[in-house]
Amino acid sequence: MDTSSMSFKCRQFFMFAGITTVTFVAVVILPFVYGLYLTFTSWDGVSKQKPFVGLTNYASTFADAAYWQALGRTFIYSIIAVVLVNVVAFILAFLVTSGVKGQNFFRAGFFIPNLIGGIVLGYIWKFVFNRAFVALGESLSIGALSTSWLATTSGAMLCLIIVSVWQYAGYMMLIYVAGFMSVSADVLEAARIDGCTNMQSIIHISVPLMVSSFVQCLFLTITRCFMVYDVNLSLTNGEPFNSSVMAAMHVYNQAFTYKNYGTGQAEALILFIVCAVVGVLQVYIGKKAEVSA
Amino acid sequence: MKKKLLAMALVTAMSLSLVACGGGSDSGSGSDSEGGSASGEAAASTGVSITVFNTKSEIQDQFVEMAEEYSAATGVDVEVYYSSDTVAAHLATRYSANDPYTISMVDAKDVYSLGEEHAIDLSDQEWVANTDYAISVGGKVLGFPVCIEARGLMYNATAIEAITGEEFNPDDYKTLDAFLGLLDQLVAGGMETPTGIMKEDWSMGAHYLAEVYEEQPDVEAFITSLHEGSADLANNEKWNSLMDTFDVLMKYNYAAGSPVAAEREVSEQKLAEGEIAFMFGGNWDWAMINAYDYSEKMGMMPVPQNTSDGSNEKLVGGGSKYFMIDSSDNTSAEQQQAAKDFLNWLVFDEAGNKFLTEDCALVPAYSNINADALDPLSISVKAFADGGNLIENYNYLPDDHYSINGASFQKYLAGQVDRAGLAAEIESYWSSTTPVEH
Repeated sequence: MDTSSMSFKCRQFFMFAGITTVTFVAVVILPFVYGLYLTFTSWDGVSKQKPFVGLTNYASTFADAAYWQALGRTFIYSIIAVVLVNVVAFILAFLVTSGVKGQNFFRAGFFIPNLIGGIVLGYIWKFVFNRAFVALGESLSIGALSTSWLATTSGAMLCLIIVSVWQYAGYMMLIYVAGFMSVSADVLEAARIDGCTNMQSIIHISVPLMVSSFVQCLFLTITRCFMVYDVNLSLTNGEPFNSSVMAAMHVYNQAFTYKNYGTGQAEALILFIVCAVVGVLQVYIGKKAEVSA
Repeated sequence: MKKKLLAMALVTAMSLSLVACGGGSDSGSGSDSEGGSASGEAAASTGVSITVFNTKSEIQDQFVEMAEEYSAATGVDVEVYYSSDTVAAHLATRYSANDPYTISMVDAKDVYSLGEEHAIDLSDQEWVANTDYAISVGGKVLGFPVCIEARGLMYNATAIEAITGEEFNPDDYKTLDAFLGLLDQLVAGGMETPTGIMKEDWSMGAHYLAEVYEEQPDVEAFITSLHEGSADLANNEKWNSLMDTFDVLMKYNYAAGSPVAAEREVSEQKLAEGEIAFMFGGNWDWAMINAYDYSEKMGMMPVPQNTSDGSNEKLVGGGSKYFMIDSSDNTSAEQQQAAKDFLNWLVFDEAGNKFLTEDCALVPAYSNINADALDPLSISVKAFADGGNLIENYNYLPDDHYSINGASFQKYLAGQVDRAGLAAEIESYWSSTTPVEH
């Protein structure tokens, strides 16, 4: 049998990857191409006709000030949230691998917020910000707490960031825990014999050896923050005065609430490109920094 | 061996869950909830089955129950579905899946935008003569009005009377001056903050702001002038009159310190229990008030204004929620007939009437239906409707109107823009928006 012939290779490929390929094409590639086609129509999302309008949707996307504001807001939110999530997650991971008593219990505890869906989480925190904090602020007469943070423009953003950190830190912690565990005890011991302090061995030994954890965590948090929708919907719903509408929510509103499906789809495409560029760039840079012991 | 068993068990469990995920074409969208479907066990089953899409969450349980009884009585299988999605977006998925509902409950604007393409002509139906609220597009009746809903100021008379000591008659407070006097009296009597404001964009943008348009002498001309940029909103009489009233509602608002943080549930509860006495809303709010320990005497009155154009004697409203019957090839002639029969049953059958007015407590849109068991807000609405005192809804606002202008209105509520600034924002919205064809 000629194992280098084209037909053999094809058969091999379809035997092992056929089902996955078909599924991938059906649920990812085809909808993507169809979505691309819809950006050239002025479809309202409902009607049978999909009139072809060329690049009009892209023109209105560039003219849609609210979209660019939402995108800018998403950038700010993502940068702050990504940094905080990873810092908190890293510290948590360090704490629960340092041998404290009951560390498995703590690991589970920090992970639990991630198991609660974003919608539910949003409603829980809305209650906390609107009622619990306010009641606390009033009874202890703490000025900063006596009015709801969700009522101000910057407060609403802050709330979104707090909730995101709370939600994702536990998940990212698990990845960092795996990273810490993968650093072999030998090198740490060798470092200690050479006179490293705890801090030094983390910075110079552990961190470089777990760069792949950072790459994964950053990728996951960046893409999730850019695409945030569920928490945005249930926690602020864009309020006050549409000042906390993130890019994904604006896209949804544009496509379904305002019935400009084509424009919404074009905006979604741009959001996708932004995400893809940021994500790929970050992975590329991160991979370069990886070392092996 | 043990490990093998465990592995087998896991494989079974996972493949079962896969099957569960893939099973049933109806389990698609997460927010759909299939109401019970009546099994066609009735002796006289006709084999016809229709689907009804309900968008009023508060009547879903009653609807499912009614569907079962209706199926048993007529042999037509009725399945009721509910979704909280945007109506048009939800229907779009069903249309593109070639699986439309036989009967869909939609908002007025959806009848205009979807009706011509998706709904059958109901002009020959008997009930058309019994209602003033049916929607016609291009000379054909396409929308069956489900009920009447109206907007105005909700009041809690029990709470007011407890302070004033005399019977509360809303007719005495048509003008803003009289209303202001009452508010001051309430404050003096111990109710420090007698009003509430719903900060939701749909309430302020689609309901309160819309009254500015709807109370104009010529609504269409006014909207056109807004589009053209020639309407001087800041100096418009209705605008200033309604904003004067809004300022008063804002001044006495229980949440004045942080008005955009007021949660609707809390405001409704305060109104229901008499902690506040007035809030702008509509009879649909009863579905929430109902959940609390509400006061005995409540109702709705027109928004008080210092005006002589009569608008302070009327609520704003009309038909709300419309049934459309699907016209596509996916719905057979038998199904369309069964759907028409169902609509007739609602209007002309005693059981259908009872379902509308008693089980669901909706204000009927048909002159032949009596309604004695309505909730207090709906009693007010019915009284205004029967007396011909409803200002018509304007059903052609652009889809993004409520969201964008509601946000501007929220800024005003939060004290971030003044009245002139708000007027300017609304004017700039209109002049940059394409008119809705109708």
